[in-house]
Order: sequence, then structure tokens, then C-alpha cells
Amino acid sequence: MRPNRLWRRYDRLTGADPAADVKDELRFHVEATIDDLIVQGWEPEAARQEAERRFGDVRAVQHIGERMGEKMERRKHLSEYWSDWVQDLRYAVRMLAKAPGFTVVAVLTFALGIGANTTIFSVVNAVLLRPLPYTNPGRLVSVAESRPETSITGAGLSWPVFTELQDHTQVFSAVAGLAGHALTLTGRGEPADISTVAVTPDFFTVFATKPLLGRVLLADDGKRGAAAAVVLSENLWRSRFGADPNIAGSSVTLDQRTYTVAGVMPVSFHTPFFDQTEQMWIPLVQDPLFGGWTTRPPQVHWMAVIARLRTDVSVSKAQAEMRTISPALASQFPEESGWVLGTEPLQRVVVGNVRPQLLLLLGAVALVLLIACANIANLLLTRATSRSKEIALRIALGANKRRIARQLLTENSILGLLGGAAGIGLAWWSMSALALLLAPGLRQNYPIRLDGFVLGFAVVLSMAASLLAGLAPVFYAVRSNPQQSLREGAGAGEARGSQRARSFLAAAEVALAVIVLVGAGLLLRSFSRLIAVSPGFETDHVVKAEISLPRFQYAKPEQWNAFANDLMMRLHARPDLRNSAIAAPLPILDGAITLPFVISGNPPLAQGTADTANYVTASPQYFGVMGISLMRGRLFTEDDDDSMPPVVVISQALAKRYFPNQDPLGRQLIFGFTPQGHISRQIVGVVGDVHDVSLASKPGPMMYVPFAQAPLWGGEVVVRSRLGTAVVADAIRTATHAIDKDLPVTEIESFPGALDASVAEPRFRTLLLGVFSGIALLLAAIGIYGVVSFSVSRRTREIGVRMALGASPARVMRLVIGESAKLLLLGLAVGIPAALALTRFMSTLLFGIAPTDPLTFGVVAVLLALVALAAAYVPARRAMRVDPMVALRCE
Amino acid sequence: MDKNRLDLFRGTLDVLILKALIWGPLHGYSITDLIRRQSDEVLLVEEGTLYPALWRLETKGLLTAEWGLSENNRKAKFYQLSAKGRRQLRQEMQTWDAYATAVAKVLGATQPPLPEDIG
Repeated sequence: MRPNRLWRRYDRLTGADPAADVKDELRFHVEATIDDLIVQGWEPEAARQEAERRFGDVRAVQHIGERMGEKMERRKHLSEYWSDWVQDLRYAVRMLAKAPGFTVVAVLTFALGIGANTTIFSVVNAVLLRPLPYTNPGRLVSVAESRPETSITGAGLSWPVFTELQDHTQVFSAVAGLAGHALTLTGRGEPADISTVAVTPDFFTVFATKPLLGRVLLADDGKRGAAAAVVLSENLWRSRFGADPNIAGSSVTLDQRTYTVAGVMPVSFHTPFFDQTEQMWIPLVQDPLFGGWTTRPPQVHWMAVIARLRTDVSVSKAQAEMRTISPALASQFPEESGWVLGTEPLQRVVVGNVRPQLLLLLGAVALVLLIACANIANLLLTRATSRSKEIALRIALGANKRRIARQLLTENSILGLLGGAAGIGLAWWSMSALALLLAPGLRQNYPIRLDGFVLGFAVVLSMAASLLAGLAPVFYAVRSNPQQSLREGAGAGEARGSQRARSFLAAAEVALAVIVLVGAGLLLRSFSRLIAVSPGFETDHVVKAEISLPRFQYAKPEQWNAFANDLMMRLHARPDLRNSAIAAPLPILDGAITLPFVISGNPPLAQGTADTANYVTASPQYFGVMGISLMRGRLFTEDDDDSMPPVVVISQALAKRYFPNQDPLGRQLIFGFTPQGHISRQIVGVVGDVHDVSLASKPGPMMYVPFAQAPLWGGEVVVRSRLGTAVVADAIRTATHAIDKDLPVTEIESFPGALDASVAEPRFRTLLLGVFSGIALLLAAIGIYGVVSFSVSRRTREIGVRMALGASPARVMRLVIGESAKLLLLGLAVGIPAALALTRFMSTLLFGIAPTDPLTFGVVAVLLALVALAAAYVPARRAMRVDPMVALRCE
Repeated sequence: MDKNRLDLFRGTLDVLILKALIWGPLHGYSITDLIRRQSDEVLLVEEGTLYPALWRLETKGLLTAEWGLSENNRKAKFYQLSAKGRRQLRQEMQTWDAYATAVAKVLGATQPPLPEDIG
């Protein structure tokens, strides 16, 4: 009765069959019953019937048994699978530990690829994927006006258009207008300019955000004649108001006027377009500047508008409504004709220009990762060759091929995960530097973090990369013939297909590297062109500082003039500061003021069209300080004040475009900037062109007017002096405080430094792509080296024979280098057309060169050729030193 | 004989099977045989419930099974108690004892219980 293991062994050989087991077991039961009945004296046939009767429904029981058996089988499989996996894992770790050189190189290669991808992805995630930090951010849109005929886009709204939209919209649940500048806070320590956003009453409704303390601005605050209220940002509240919990209700002085603090907004609340860590919000009607623009609407599009879509309205439906509103507005407000209202998701507007460069970088790192994968695949193929004996032995001993493939893939995924972990380390390390990719406003709104999503991305990417890199090697390892491998020595028993795969991979690396290098080369070339642009002014030794006069205290233009005159007199009194001026706005550093103008005596333009030029108000020394050259006529003098006829100096671009073959001197231009109305001014001079908006955009028409005839509430002081920034800054501050000790002097910088910062973004993306292309080049070089060097070691015998037959070392060297050249040419043949096809997508990021720039392509090809040569040189030298006798004897 | 036959209470069969196997490995037929004889022909285990119960216990890991040869040289599936099964048996026997004692006390009572809160 002891169980006999014989059956069990039989069972194992054919594999488990739970259904047959159940049948056998039940049949045994019935037969045992029959045996017993016969012993009790039953006839065999009667005994069978009785036994079956006693058992009842055999089928039903059998059915239950089969189902339970299947379930058990499945469970057994699963547990076997896991125990196999643990075994694989152990084996893999042992094998990797045995080849530390290989492991380190493979892990580092993965780390570079995964690290670069994780880093760039963290920025993409922060800026493009993560939603804006507001309630239901998908419903927020930006409303802007554009003027198709002059290709102006994204302009703000004018006051009448905004009120029209606010009062009659069918698609928005709330609409808010906002405009930003700085007000002077006094009475709380040092006077300071605080970033201020003037908002319409619905502003906080649009964002549906609760205050940290007190209340937000309400509809009543927005009424004309209401008490002036202000909401502080949490950071401002902490730094300037000592985080006073009873701040609500107390009063603060802004531009010499009293405001009552309504509440405090939490640090998590960001204002689109005007985000600052320390800032405040006031009702638009209470703003000393913008408040005036709502009563006496000047013809400027100055207000940014954000709206919340009603829940049942899509962006496209809102867009359709905007299109129908525009003509109606134009008939109501003639100055609106030619302008078209439009709406776009807020997120897209906020991140607008960052998108193309992020996508470019993402593409570049993806290519780097592909190169890394190709490199590792090559390494694995080489390793598989040296391991072919081990694998053949295991197959011969009965391991099935699927198990071996699984085990090899386990090994690869360990490499991938180790590399991924190192890559995450790299990404973490480079994270802080990466914020430079974003403009300061975006940086705060979009903190770059290694959050769970980014980490998940890194892990999935490492698994995918290790799988990709491992496919070909596993394929060749499993396909090889074990008998052949065992018979031949290691190294020789290698399928020719595997060598071909290796060459293909190296050529692919070259091709991918071409694309990355061309991209980096194009950015580098356009950046060098960008910084080589002559801006039209000379900024060496120029220091700039901004002074803004509080408008309640300095309410009248005469006061602004008096202040500017006083300040200039004080500065000019020092011989080493004689070269100083006041002006606004400064080229490139400040936003441009574009105004429509009319040439007196010309026929009127068609309705809805206008000629425009950028406007600058400047004191007479401005042109001298900035090195802007006079071409014709004269510059301003001290005599051009408000008692004299109004004059204007125009730029060459304006003269050329609007006075072709005419003498502009003596002609009249009619234009005006707030608070002045339209004034007719005589053209007295023509000066050289200046890049007013940015280095990258072409110089446009400019109109300069004397500060004394068109003063502003403060301006930018520019001083050319050899004294050094700190000394000049002190002098400006001293002179300013001698006039009014409560005036803040801000944004003091050397002009070249400020200009340099204006190209920080293109410089950084060039640098990043440069780093990635360096990695790509290095990996491609390693790839070529690996293939050529392995092929040399495999062909030692062949080389020996050749040398024995009289081949010179130079010839052997040519043979090896030729192999590398073949890879190079193949790579270039694929890479260059691919790069040509891809670089057009980066044309918006280029400046001054075409995406097909032949010089860049040529340099990249030569560079890769040099690298291929260098990579082949070491193995070639080794081939030349092959001793024919040793090589022939070794087998 | 049929009138003496008792239906097995739900859950009782499992503990009977475990107990039957305490003497050594058995196949399904001898398990019914053992239970029948040990209960003086009172407890008859139906095949339709016995085998599913055996398989369930096997799935739970309380029994292990092995193919072997029966007394008359037929291929039969032998069941054996696992360590886990042994533990389970001990526990269920205690539960059963407590249950049986309680039932016996109620059924054997000769007078109603004393009122609980005299004080």
C-alpha cells in the first residue's frame, strides 16, 4: 500500500494532465466498489450496475475535478515562473559580477542615455504636460487681438473691447483683464518698487482661488469711487509685513496714496504673464496709470485678458464666437477695424515659445538614447560571442531556448535598471542648472521636479532601452548551433550574421550621430551669428538704472520734466559722468512702444490700416551715450523743450521706407504717446538703425522725441563712464536721493551684462545640444572602435596569412581603416538625408542660417570622418603588429 | 441500514477526511470505507461529495497526493496529510469538541437555566 513513485515519474515525463488524473481516480473508485461487491457474492454484471448506481452522477463529479485541476496547474506554473525568475536573477548578477569591465561600460552608457532623457523629460513634464496650478485649468483661456495684415499677434485688448466682451459674452463664465507694472511702497522700511498687477473685479473669480488670509478683490472694489484695496502675495506679506496675521484692514502707502489691505494670496497662486514672488494686486480703477486708461481710452492694445470658459463651451466654440464679435466691434469702434479677437488655451500661451526648443531637445536626447542602445547591443553581441560556448553547453544539457533567451533578457534588464538608476542620479544632479532653459517667469510657475511621473518614465525607459539593446544579441545567441559552437574554439564559432548586425549597428550610430551633430552645429552657428549682430548701438562701459516716479506725488508732466532735468544736471556736474542721459524705453531690454503715425501731407490711408513705428523719448545726450550715429540733419539740443516747436528724429529704416527718394527733413509726422494726444512734429534728423526689439529681429522704423517735449514718469538712466558699474550706480543713487530720498533706483546693471542675459536662453539651449552631441559623438566613436577592434581580433589569423604572403603593414592598416571607412560612409549616406529631412523642424530656432546650411553639414561629415579614423587607428596598429608565425600557430 | 444513515453536517466531512488520513496515506475508496466502518456503518460518505472535498483540501495544501498501486495492483491516487493538514485537524477537533459538548449540554439538560441576574 506504500505509494509507488513510478507512476509519478511517468506523469512527469508526459507533463501533467489533470483531466486524465480525475478520470483515472474515479474509475478506480468504481472498480474497487465492484471488487468488494463481487467478494460479497454479487454477479459481476450486477455488481457493475450497483457500483455505478451508488456513485451517482460520475460526469458531474468529473467536471468539478477537471476545473479544480486546471486551477491548480495554473497556480503551479506561476510559482515555477517566479522561482525561475529568482534563479535567473541570481545567475545574471553572478555573470555581470564576473565581467566588471563590460558591466561598468554598459551601465555608464545606459546612464548617459537615460540621464539625458530623464532630465529633458522633467522639463517637458513641468512645462508641457503638468496642468497649470489652478482650479480646472483646462477651462482657462487667454483672449488676445491680432492684426492679420501687419502680422501682429497676441496683442492685448483695448478698454472698450474688453468691456464689450465682459458685458456680452456668451461663452465665458468670467472674464478678467490685467496689466502689470510697479508701484512704490513707502513707509515700510526702504522705499521699494513692488510688482503690481492691476486687475478687473472678476480676476479672482476666473482663477477660483481662495485667499490665505482676509478676502480677495470683489466686484465692489472695481467700482469707480470705491475705497482703494490691495491684496498682497504671501511672500510680500512675509518679507515686508512680518507675516502679521491681522494685516487685513490695515493701510499701506503705494505711490504716496493709501490702500487698505483686503487679504493675502497663498504662495501657490501665480499670475499668468506677470508672475513675481513678491507682488500685489489692486483694482484696475485704482491704478495711478492704468486707471486713467479706462476713462480716456487711448488707442493702444494694452490689457492682457484671461477668461474661464463656461462648462458647456469648447475652445473652438469660443474661438468661433470671437470671430463673430470682431466685425461688430469694428463697426462700433472705428479704431478697432482690422483687429481680430482670438482665444487660445492659457497653457499654450504661457509656455508658447518654449515648446519648440523643448521638443528639439527631447528629439536630440531620444537619438542619444538610440545610439546608446546600439552601442550596448554591440557590446552584448561581442559578449555573446565569447559566451557562445557557455550557452551551447547549456542548450546541450537540456535547457530550452526560451529559458535561455529569458535569462539573457533578465541580465540586460538588470543592466538597464542599474543604468536607469545612475541616470536618475545624473538627472537629479543637473536639475537645478536646467531651470535656465525657462525664462524667469516660467521658472517659478513651472518648478522642475523629479516627481513620481518622471521617475516612472525613467524606469519604463530603461526597461524599454534594455529590451531594445538586447533583442539582436539574444536572437543570435539562441539561434546559433550548439554543436558547431562546442566543436570550434571560442571566437571562431560565430555566425557571420552577427558580425553583419554589429556593422549595421555601428553605421546606425554614425547616422544618428550625424543628426544630433548637425542640429547642434546649426544652433551653434546661428548663436554665433546672433551675438555677432551689431545692435546699432555701442554699449561698452554703459550702465543703466531705472527710476520710476510715484504718480500720485508726481502727477503732472511738468514735475516729470523737472525731475529729469534736475537729475541730469546733478550727473553732468561730475566730469566723469558727463556722458549720461535719460530715455525710455531702452532697446532690447525694455518692451517696445509701437505707435501708429501719419505723415502730414500724404493722402489718408485706407480705413483700418496704419503705419507704425517704435517710439522712444530721450534726452539730448542719449544718442551720444548709446553710440547711435547721426546720418542727416541734427540731434536734439537742450533748447528742444516744451516752449519750442515739437521735433522728432527718425531712423534710417523709417526714412527709407516712407520717404523713398525724398528728403524727410522738414516734413511733419503726426503721432503721440499717452498722456499726450496726437501732435504734429517736424523731422529734424535721421539716425542709424537700432535693433529695438531683439537681436534676432530686424531693425524697424523708429521715432525719437526729446524727453523735454514728451516726458514720462521716470525712465531709464544710461551713463557711459569708465568708473565701473558699482561707482556709477552709487552716483546715480546719490543724485536721485538728493532730489527725493523716497525714490527707489532699480535694475542697475551694466548694459553689456543685461544684453548678455537677453541671449541666455539661446545660449543655454545651444550648450545643452552641444553636450548631447558630444555624448553622441563619443558613443559613435566607441561603437566604431568596438566593431573594428573585434573584427581585427577575429581576423588575426587571416591577417597573419596575408602578412606571411607578403602584405606590407601599410596594406594591413589600409584594410582595417577601410572597414571603418565603410561604416562611416554607410552612416553618412543614411544620416545626412535624414538630418536634411529633420532640421527643417528647427527653423524657428535658427537665426541667420538655413536649416540646410552646407558648411554645418560639411563640418559634421569631416568631424565624423576624423573620429572614425581615430577609432580605427588603435585596432589598425594592433593588426600591423600581428606576428604571422604566432597567428598561424595559434590554432 | 439506510434509516440509520445520517447526513453529514456541512464542514464535518473535511475534518473526517483529515482524521481518516492520520493513520497513513489512503485512496478515496478506502477513505469512505474507513469512515463507514469506524462509525459502525452510520456515516456514509457520498462519492459526489467526497472527491470534490479531497480535491479542495489538496488545493489548499492540507493534503498531498501521489499516484501509487492499490492492494489489488490498480493505479490509484493516494492522499496524505501535510504538516499544514495535521495542524488543521488538531484545530478542528478542538472546535468540534467544544461544539459537541455545548450541544450535549443543551440537549441533556433536565431543568431550565437559572435566571442570570439574581442580584
